[in-house]
Amino acid sequence: MLESLIGSTTCEKALVFLTARQEGYVREIADFFDIASAPLLRQLEKLENGGILYSKSVGRTRVFGFNPRYPFLNELRALLTKVLTFYPDDIRNRLENDRRRPRKKDKPLS
Amino acid sequence: MTIPISDMSLAELAAYVSDHLIRNGIDVVLSGGGCVSVYSDNRYESPDLDFIERYRMERKTLAAALDSIGFKPKGRYYVNPATQFFLEFPTGPLAVGSEPVREVAEMEFSTGTLRMLTPTDCVKDRLSHYFHWGDRQGLEQALMVAETFPVDLDELARWSQVEGMRDKFESIKDRFSNDL
Repeated sequence: MLESLIGSTTCEKALVFLTARQEGYVREIADFFDIASAPLLRQLEKLENGGILYSKSVGRTRVFGFNPRYPFLNELRALLTKVLTFYPDDIRNRLENDRRRPRKKDKPLS
Repeated sequence: MTIPISDMSLAELAAYVSDHLIRNGIDVVLSGGGCVSVYSDNRYESPDLDFIERYRMERKTLAAALDSIGFKPKGRYYVNPATQFFLEFPTGPLAVGSEPVREVAEMEFSTGTLRMLTPTDCVKDRLSHYFHWGDRQGLEQALMVAETFPVDLDELARWSQVEGMRDKFESIKDRFSNDL
């Protein structure tokens, strides 16, 4: 949807994923959209170099998220939030309804 | 050049580079930790100088201008073997938090005129690290600047509100008042 504006569907998917989930890592985003990791990483690094994203290491995983110091963050998020509403229901629901709260180890699942 | 690059302090080098780039039509403003070093008289020592371009130029134009004073690209930095300090040109815009920088300060050195964030904007820049990342060093650097140069506390309060950080600013503002 934003490809003509930002020049890459991979970049759009990464931004939409992070809009819905706040944070994400390469394998997670690539698996979700079934896209290749290498071009996705390039897009994420490009966005990080541009000050739009940050990355941090969690264990051996590099996690990306929106840089809270990016001057156009609120406006960008508003745009991407609207873009997300145009995504197919199943993708949007899977993106938005991902469990993020902690679950105690060994807790039996009903 | 009045003094060789190898003998320049961080502030003198910043002024030299800033002056040179502006004379070459590249409008840059010193930001980041280098700004804190200059305002705190090196109580905080930064190894790098972050220049933000007000209007993004072609990389080859910037590289050519820097090459003429001995700085070569190395990764995302520009280095000169005559000095330990290195240059970086982070992607703009020139902003503090979500607001554009409206006013630029100028400081005169024997090596040139340094264009940089005002002390109040420099404090905002450092506080944004503290606000968003919980970075205590950002707060300490902001206090160093405020101890040396007057800053506008009302403006800091207004800006913090815009950033959604009013409560965080309220919790630290006395440290600025006491230090002034």
